[in-house]
Amino acid sequence: MGWELEIVERQASAGGRESARPSQMAFVLDQRACIGCHACTVACKTENDVELGVFRTWVKHIEQGTWPDVRRYFSVLRCNHCTDAPCVEICPVTALYKREDGIVDFDPERCIGCKACLNGCPYDALYIDPNSDTAGKCNFCAHRVDAGLKPACEIVCPTNAIISGDIGDPDSEVSRLVDTYPAQVRAPEQSTGPNVFYLGAQEAALDPLLVGGGDAYLYNEVPETQRAKLEPLDADARARAMHDIAHPPPWGWKVSSYFLSKGVAAGAMMLAGLADDLLIGLIALVGIAVTGAFLVWDLKRPERFHYLFFKPQWRSWLARGAQVINVAALVALLWTVAAVLGWDGARDVLRWAMIPAGAALAGYTALLFNQCEGRDLWQSPLLLPQTLVNALAAGAAALAIAALVSDADTAVLRWVLLGAVVSGAAIWLLDLFARHPTAQAKRAAHNLRADRRFWLGAALGLGVAAALAAVYVATGALVLLALAGALVLAGQWLVEDAWVRAGQSVPLS
Amino acid sequence: MGTPPRPGARRPVRQGHGELRGHPPFERWDSWTEYDPRAWPRKVEREYMLVPTVCFNCEAACGLVAYVDKETLEIRKLEGHPGHPGSRGRNCAKGPATINQLTDPERILYPMRRKGARGSGDWERVSWDHVLDVFAERMHEAFAAQRPNDVCYFVGRPGEDGFADRFLETWGADGHNSHTNVCSSGGRTGYGVWMGTDRPSPDYANARFILLCSAHLESGHYFNPHAQRITEARQHGGTVAVMDPRLSNTASMADWWLPTWPGTEGAVLLAIARVILTEGLHDRAFVRRWVNWRTYLRLRAPGTEPTFANFERELAREWERYTPEFAERESGVPAGTVVAVAREIATAAPAFSSHIWRAAAAGNLHGWQITRAMWLLNVLTGSVGTKGGVSPNAWNKFIPAPWRKPGPHAEWNELSWPREYPLAHNEMSFLFPHFLHDGRGTQPVLFTRVLNPIWTFPDGYSWLRALRDEHRVGLHAALTPTWSETAWWADYVLPMGHGPERHDTHSYETHAGRWLGFRQPVRRVAMERLGRPVRFTHEANPGEVWEEGEFWIELSWRADPDGSLGIRHHYESPYRPGEKITLEEYYRWMFEHSVPGLPEKAAAEGLTPLEYMRRHGCVEIAREEYVQHEAEVADLAGTEVRGDEDTVTAVAFPEDAHLPLTGRPDRVAAMIDGVARKGFNTPSRKLELYSEDVAAFGWPELATPSYARSHVHHSLIDHERGEYVLLPTYRLPTLIHSRSGNAKYLNELSHTHPLLVCPEDAERIGVVTNELVRVETEIGYFVIKALVTDGIRPGVVAASHHMGRWRLKEDRGMERWSSALVDMTEDAGIVRFRQIHGVEPWESADPSSRRVWWNDAGVHQNITFPVHPDPVSGMHCWHQKVRVRPAAPGDRYADILVDFRRAREVYEKWLGLTRPASGEWRRPIWMFRPVKPLLKAYRLPEDERTAAFREQQQAAAPVPVDELAARVDWSPEAVWGPATARQRAL
Repeated sequence: MGWELEIVERQASAGGRESARPSQMAFVLDQRACIGCHACTVACKTENDVELGVFRTWVKHIEQGTWPDVRRYFSVLRCNHCTDAPCVEICPVTALYKREDGIVDFDPERCIGCKACLNGCPYDALYIDPNSDTAGKCNFCAHRVDAGLKPACEIVCPTNAIISGDIGDPDSEVSRLVDTYPAQVRAPEQSTGPNVFYLGAQEAALDPLLVGGGDAYLYNEVPETQRAKLEPLDADARARAMHDIAHPPPWGWKVSSYFLSKGVAAGAMMLAGLADDLLIGLIALVGIAVTGAFLVWDLKRPERFHYLFFKPQWRSWLARGAQVINVAALVALLWTVAAVLGWDGARDVLRWAMIPAGAALAGYTALLFNQCEGRDLWQSPLLLPQTLVNALAAGAAALAIAALVSDADTAVLRWVLLGAVVSGAAIWLLDLFARHPTAQAKRAAHNLRADRRFWLGAALGLGVAAALAAVYVATGALVLLALAGALVLAGQWLVEDAWVRAGQSVPLS
Repeated sequence: MGTPPRPGARRPVRQGHGELRGHPPFERWDSWTEYDPRAWPRKVEREYMLVPTVCFNCEAACGLVAYVDKETLEIRKLEGHPGHPGSRGRNCAKGPATINQLTDPERILYPMRRKGARGSGDWERVSWDHVLDVFAERMHEAFAAQRPNDVCYFVGRPGEDGFADRFLETWGADGHNSHTNVCSSGGRTGYGVWMGTDRPSPDYANARFILLCSAHLESGHYFNPHAQRITEARQHGGTVAVMDPRLSNTASMADWWLPTWPGTEGAVLLAIARVILTEGLHDRAFVRRWVNWRTYLRLRAPGTEPTFANFERELAREWERYTPEFAERESGVPAGTVVAVAREIATAAPAFSSHIWRAAAAGNLHGWQITRAMWLLNVLTGSVGTKGGVSPNAWNKFIPAPWRKPGPHAEWNELSWPREYPLAHNEMSFLFPHFLHDGRGTQPVLFTRVLNPIWTFPDGYSWLRALRDEHRVGLHAALTPTWSETAWWADYVLPMGHGPERHDTHSYETHAGRWLGFRQPVRRVAMERLGRPVRFTHEANPGEVWEEGEFWIELSWRADPDGSLGIRHHYESPYRPGEKITLEEYYRWMFEHSVPGLPEKAAAEGLTPLEYMRRHGCVEIAREEYVQHEAEVADLAGTEVRGDEDTVTAVAFPEDAHLPLTGRPDRVAAMIDGVARKGFNTPSRKLELYSEDVAAFGWPELATPSYARSHVHHSLIDHERGEYVLLPTYRLPTLIHSRSGNAKYLNELSHTHPLLVCPEDAERIGVVTNELVRVETEIGYFVIKALVTDGIRPGVVAASHHMGRWRLKEDRGMERWSSALVDMTEDAGIVRFRQIHGVEPWESADPSSRRVWWNDAGVHQNITFPVHPDPVSGMHCWHQKVRVRPAAPGDRYADILVDFRRAREVYEKWLGLTRPASGEWRRPIWMFRPVKPLLKAYRLPEDERTAAFREQQQAAAPVPVDELAARVDWSPEAVWGPATARQRAL
């Protein structure tokens, strides 16, 4: 059966979607015609000078079936120029933005390299350019569009499998194609309004969770990071990946460490009054400083960290978070000054600021991770209570250690520690074993459950620490409580790190 | 003005931005402003001059447009050329990747001369003057001594039509050697025997059924133009069937995938033919008019009354054995599928296109007969020269005559055209080193051009030994834009321009139309347009990179310093008498005098023909010229009607003129129902189902299309002994032989070629994905990683022929994007290669070289393949029986071993299948042959060798055709000893 679209000039008034809609540039990728030749990939690279290792558009190959009923399927993958683009929302510095014509464009001069957009995107569309250390992606060849030209990938395609146009214009070729044939989009459950439409794509070609493999490709090496993502999927896979590119997880141990240091600071602030004031202040200040250091260190362009303050994009929880950190730092500083100078009155007032500032410091991260639309594991509604409880546990743990050398209300502290650890564990269990709203979240939770480091962390932070705390309750030996605190911190780091990795362990493309 | 839209070209589409175009409007090509994507979103404007040229990666010659920065003269990028009739503005990945090749930090910029022994790897820069003088002196000496064949031009990818033929003729040398017999002779011979013309031109765009024994949606002649049109046919509802043991991208897209056992394709095709014939689905009128059935009947069934019905009956009798069930037994394709496909083909006819070029035709003993069986389907269904059918390529190709075309030479070079292979379609190029080792001759002066036989050809070690030996190869210059495994052993390495750095003209049968493309050095053109005169292209090229056209003019001029050899005369300017022609003048004259319609088109735009071609880069000559065989021939003076087929034949044979490229000069037309019609380029001017010349030159059993066992037939393969068929020929859409190792974006996408093994074979061998296997050939072995996949036919293993590039020194000799550093050791005729390291990042002017993320460079397979010349077509039969076994202890990835002594033995074994010319002629004169000599050179010398051959043929009965395969079969166990499968713990 052929699929030639009959070109009939439509009457503007003759039914259909004649009403004016906002301009939105879109691609139709006709997988009935695509031959998997990579012309688009290379034309894009030469047009935009894209460095080795990263891609603005690429052609994935999969194979499905058993001989002789086996076929290879291709999918051309790239930015979806979403109507509600999560990358734009999460970008803290407006380096990513949506143009009037609907193109999601980016400005490398503004980008600080925080990689939040890489986790915000549910399509693996963004990368960090190794030369500029800033985010990059398909921008619809905006520089060509503004000169009246179609994108480079489209004009090179030997089989006319790539068609661009304004999906807001009911008469455009893309609108007619999408109206005529059943069109598919990637990850519709993400509700981002993708504007890349596929015709005739094999289901598994668009749904990465149906594809396993990872042991070898047909003609390129399997990047290690991709192997790690594919292998867990292999057992239930419907198809096998035969050509693909790397999408290394954007966030790693620095982010896990940031989680912990921030938790310590936030927890200490929330526990103001349960230990020596100066100690609380110092722990909070040092925690915030270390948090800031991890944050800046994790930026690919650390020298641009001040853009967070001077070029903020207020919908981003990264930009908001920077301000939360600022406020928390200010409160903690005042608290410390008050403690040093012995201004008890000011301190008593500040205590009412310390608790919410600490809570905000702990909790905004949940909202930031919630904003990572690409990582379903991180979309859990339990994330906010969990960050709060974990921060309490971390703060209590830090204070328990500090109690070795300083005054602390260990009677309360031990119960806070135990309570936070146990309720944190309860939330973890809920999170891990409850029903997950999406297949991706389910798969990520599965990967988390399969991660030994997670269970090691849980065993250390929960089991061993609780046992030590219990013995402490019986014996009163402070060193046991301190040890329990240390184990809680170590356990929490391991668990958080496993969780950060698991969230990014599922292929999105 | 401007280039009119072509059928299939993209329509502009209205959008919020107004009308977005694919390409800048032609009127603005002199000054086109674009925003710099590297500065984006800042709107930094760059002004470009757009200069059309032609891609030089594969053979398709697609149009490109270079964006030359008017300020810096830097070539910013290359895009498709919307006005090019073949490629219509679109390209494959290799088109845009041309920019990588231009800016490759490792490219050769200056002529180099070896220091020390050949292959020692030390080079020094020399001047072009020195190079020209050294070679001109040697050539003068040879020409003056009447030894023109001392000089050989050995070409890989020609990338041009006619220039080389002309300079060889000016030298009077039979000095052309080419890569064709490792490439397409199996295709060419089959087509040539049928219709004289050696290439098909399928009109895919209009076909209703397309039968491919190829992977034309991803590779092959002519990948991008053909993929466009095959897709158009699919879009219009056309059906595609693909025969391929491997799941290619093309097979994947097809409606019918017929994964035949390699070499049995002919059985399937003949069974389809039989269904069509016995069900009466054939085009009786066409066959009656255009097939030489009277000849067939006379020679097949002497005494039978020559009626068409008798012919049909006799044919049905000959094909009795080709039942669908027979096809199923041979190939594995179900009988029901064979019948269904046959009926679909018949329904679609005459809009039935088919194509085979390499694939099975290049893989198998008797592969050329597979081609013949395929074309048979077009003939039977009358899908010849029709809309949606297949035409002879000559109808869709145009070669303009050059200035002062030299006369034919009178030489015969037996190193290229040995007597054992009278029907070989092209030079026996891959036996060249064996002929040198035999002592059949030497090669005092050798130019290799874009040719890398040590890597590309089978049995590269025999090449290496020959090229290294100064007694066998005198003076060797490698003309090449890039380093190669072969250039390493040359005396001189001469850097030549890439596609956008040289002139060429060419024309290919990409569709039902004729066009002429003009490749040009784009910086030179831009500079001239900006008012900066350029005398020679190398002035505009990087470093001292020349282009071949100017090199050959300069060299020929110097080789005949006083004009006494009659060479210089041909290099005088048509415009400045007595002075040396410039390359621009060469093309100017051609465009002014030899291209129909071009002067008029140019005048309509107020341009000279040369200016027109500089601006447009191509010209369309004709479109949709179908059924040309039916054209009536009016001028019948001096002719008479002769033979079974009523062939209109000139009474006198023009003995001193050029022989036509294909066909006989004395065969003018075929008398069809009383009307003289042009017909085809065969001796009878009809389609020759029965080839009298195949019979006359030693192979009467193969006079008609038939099926015989290939050398990899399943009856010769014992899986229990670890034996499989290796399919080593398939290409990827992203690479092109040894010419794309310098394109970083292409190598990033494709850099490994695991051995494809199906699950049941993998289990029998005892191997899983990523484990090493040793693949043993008749002369050596290589060690490679396995990939267990359902995308390969059981019993067959395959690895793409790309990859496996190597170099012997860390910092030179091959591009580091694509090659591994290896250690080569030789001991008593046995050579071993061991990889020291794979692809690694390195420091260069291009920051990308630090960011190379892949390590695999693949394994050089071809060097472990012995030569397998088909005794008829001369094609190297690429497929082979191998033994696949788990790697032995101590084996490492990419290990290679080759035994030269065994390579010689296998060569002699296959040589033993030949039936040397022993009649009046060396080969049929109508058959294609590059740079044809005068008729008299075709006469077989009445000498001792001829007498010996005749005696030999009297003495022994020939081996039956079906037994040839068994004659060249081999036993891995006998050569390599027993091997057991790896025992796997469950």
